[in-house]
Amino acid sequence: MKKLFTALMMSAALLSACNENDDIIDDGFTSEITIDGDVDCCSADEARIVYNFLKNVKEVPELADTIDGTYRLHAYTSTGKLQTGFNYIYFVVTKLKNANYVKDITIENFVPLMTMNMGEKTMKHSTPIGGNASVIDGAPAALKRAWVSFMMPSDGEDKWAFSYDLNILSKGAETYEKEITVNPFADGQVWLKTFKANDNVYVLSLVEPNKWQTGTNEIKAYVSVKSSPMTNPYQLANEQFVIEQVPTMPDMGNHSSPDNTALTLQGDGSYVGSINLTMTGLWRIHLTIRDAATNEIVAGGDEESDGFSSLFWDVTI
Amino acid sequence: MLTPIFLSIIGCLSVESDTILLSRNLDEVVISSIGTGKKRSAKGQVASIDEHLRELSHVELIRRGSYAWEPVVNNMQTERLSVTIDGMKIFYACTDKMDPVTSYVESGNLQSINLNSGLAGNPQSTGNIGGSLDLRLRRAGFAGHPWRTNISVGHEFNGHLQVYGADASVSTTKAYTNFGAFVRHAENYKIGGGDELEFSQFQKVNAFSNFGFRLSENQVIEGTVIYDCATDVGYPALAMDVAKAEAIIASLSYRHTYVDKFINAWETKVYANRLIHNMDDTKRPEVLIHMDMPGSSKTVGLYSLLSATTERHTLRFNYDVYYNRLFADMTMYPDEAAPMYMVTWPDVGSLCSGVAFDDDIQLLHNLSVGISGKVAAQHQRLNNDEGYNAQKVFFPHMQNNYSQLTGRVAAHLAWFASDWQINLGGGWGSRAPSVTEAYGYYLNNTFDRFDYIGNPHLHNESAIEANASGAFHHGALTLNADANAFFFSNYIIGREETRLSAMTIGAAGVKVYRNLANARIVNTSLTAQYDIMQSLSLRAKLSYGLGRDDDGDPLPLIAPMEYSTTLAYVRSHFKAQLTALGAAKQVNYAPKYAESQTPAYHIINLNTEYTKALGKHSITLIVGIENLLDRNYSTYSDWNNIPQKGRNLYANVNWTW
Repeated sequence: MKKLFTALMMSAALLSACNENDDIIDDGFTSEITIDGDVDCCSADEARIVYNFLKNVKEVPELADTIDGTYRLHAYTSTGKLQTGFNYIYFVVTKLKNANYVKDITIENFVPLMTMNMGEKTMKHSTPIGGNASVIDGAPAALKRAWVSFMMPSDGEDKWAFSYDLNILSKGAETYEKEITVNPFADGQVWLKTFKANDNVYVLSLVEPNKWQTGTNEIKAYVSVKSSPMTNPYQLANEQFVIEQVPTMPDMGNHSSPDNTALTLQGDGSYVGSINLTMTGLWRIHLTIRDAATNEIVAGGDEESDGFSSLFWDVTI
Repeated sequence: MLTPIFLSIIGCLSVESDTILLSRNLDEVVISSIGTGKKRSAKGQVASIDEHLRELSHVELIRRGSYAWEPVVNNMQTERLSVTIDGMKIFYACTDKMDPVTSYVESGNLQSINLNSGLAGNPQSTGNIGGSLDLRLRRAGFAGHPWRTNISVGHEFNGHLQVYGADASVSTTKAYTNFGAFVRHAENYKIGGGDELEFSQFQKVNAFSNFGFRLSENQVIEGTVIYDCATDVGYPALAMDVAKAEAIIASLSYRHTYVDKFINAWETKVYANRLIHNMDDTKRPEVLIHMDMPGSSKTVGLYSLLSATTERHTLRFNYDVYYNRLFADMTMYPDEAAPMYMVTWPDVGSLCSGVAFDDDIQLLHNLSVGISGKVAAQHQRLNNDEGYNAQKVFFPHMQNNYSQLTGRVAAHLAWFASDWQINLGGGWGSRAPSVTEAYGYYLNNTFDRFDYIGNPHLHNESAIEANASGAFHHGALTLNADANAFFFSNYIIGREETRLSAMTIGAAGVKVYRNLANARIVNTSLTAQYDIMQSLSLRAKLSYGLGRDDDGDPLPLIAPMEYSTTLAYVRSHFKAQLTALGAAKQVNYAPKYAESQTPAYHIINLNTEYTKALGKHSITLIVGIENLLDRNYSTYSDWNNIPQKGRNLYANVNWTW
């Protein structure tokens, strides 16, 4: 039977033809970066890895800075802007003379600070951050990543400032501060929600779902706790939760998808689960937060939004 | 329509023998005004393909509007049938079955439609458990009339249906061509009682050309090009209409004939066709959410058919291969949010290759045996990753390619005495799941209001068929009884999956295709003809079908008891017939599959035909009335029980010279 099948298929192969496209695309690397053997800078291989990584993100101009007339700090996000909710920010420092990346930098002690101008008085608060900038797996130490989850956009007199300590080649840290613009959520995107439990305010930050596609996706989030005083950056919560999720499409009669798994705490402090999206469009991810130890619902799960939890993120893919 | 089974030998077999009488379960309706054959639509050549199909035994038509009816053979729909155009494979492009492939040709293109009931399919057919339909193209042929022109014009008053057709043929001993064009235009029709049925309009144009060249005494090259385009087609039974359904169909064949040899002919044909289908909901008054649902089907293929005869044998060997691509997607546009997009057929490429053989053996002068068989291998690949990843949500272990091996064997025996004919037959055959059944994605079925998701883990469906028929002819009386039964294993049908949530707003739930361990379908019919006098005859037909799933519950869309009685008068150039037809209340309907019961109906049709020859000219005038009593009714196969046409006066004229 199998031979017969093979024979029929081979004869059928006459109809199918393959076209392989082996074009090699010049990555532009050599025209922008000079590899001159400077020991402060990356090797050619390392530089190429960083260069190619940065091609997929966009520079945030307002975070760039020239340092000592020798170096330049560059910061990048997926959109070239800072936005409300979760942002990965990537940092490199280049030498001005050769545009190559400085081998090792540390960026620490981030303090995002919102100053809200409320008539006669002002109120200041910080927002969740992911600790110090760290190396991405498989990338050279020249490239560092941090995350900040902005709780609100910049708006008129409500202004965000952003400070950090930069240490180039372990020569000593210096503090830099910038005024930044945080953009509001795009239509159909709400990646940050708060809930109250145990006398604390927790912030649920959905990690950039930009790459989500129709099908099964990893869903990742962080749970941060509001600091006291609230001008200190909000750190990850010590309490452990389980985040159950039901994605629905509000424009399609709250059509849902099967086999979504709850987000659970991982070793790196993030919460990870899987989400199934059966088509593109606006997905409302309804959340039920349970205490991991007692399994009691601490937030959401109220079924007040068309029969689903009123605690939700919105994602449009 | 009540004549006994018309006996025919498929055209490419030029076997000069009068002994092959009851060879296969063959049936044929002749469409062309030229040519002979007993079965014809009362409306003549201008009848739609659907009306011609209705003449065939074992055939019912599922009707979603005035246009593009879906043929059903032996109570089995498209998935269990093979439809070919002169042996060419062609696959519909609409996920909602709004475009059965029979809708992409026109009466003017065809000479006849041949039906092989059951598993004894024509050589190019695969997966034909219920039967195979081959639409035979009308070719002028060599050494025919040097120049012939045909014009036909028809009008139906109900719905203001207009039909215009013109074609011409040129023929010499070395070359021939025929070509023509057909236009149909219909507005909304009125149902019995006079109410207008909204969205029952349609329009189509069709142009075709056939040509042939004789390279030598024994070598012939023939080709075909058909362009067909339907626009503004309403589907009153569905929530959407069709903006455009377009087909381009082309083939080129080479045939070598042999004289005084075992082999008669060897024909090899290459072909290609492309269908594009765009649904349209912009004209509907209450659309919850506007959506675009385009689909496309592209097929290229080849077959090579060798025909041979000996004193006792009539043999055919066929090899065929085709590659089909099916892609469909859906974009929904909510008022204030981003568009929602999904792939509903994930660009499935099906490469299928098969070998077929059949033989009719004349054992005695009154006893013949026929055998046929085919084995086919299919390889399918899902070329669209978005669609593949989406379906993986439901079937995490699925792959993006699958292979299937299917086959069929059938045998029959025919014996006749002076007054009697007896036929017995049987067979086994299997089919691969259709693209919709295996990979369809959230396809809403307005019949049961469920969203359907394909199941890539389905097994092949198979069936054992047994059939028998007997005819008795004595003097003025002819009686015919016919029965067949299909016993299925792994019968494919959708079953509700309650844990899944429906996508379509208002849908009842989600069904996923499953294999039922078994199912069975039985069809029976009785026909009788009595010639009262030479010019006056009475014909009657009674048919009944049954379908049962693995629990013994009725399957959906199985015909109820149906009858028709015709009194026909034929005298030289004039024909008239009065037909009463109808159906009993649908007793064995399938509430389990959301089918509602269809009540009984009875209607009367009247048809007259007059032919006049004036020198080279021949004119046929047909006038008739359908549903004379203006009954408001629908049949079991009217999707969502949309009502049929009310009283309809029609007239058409066909002029040939």
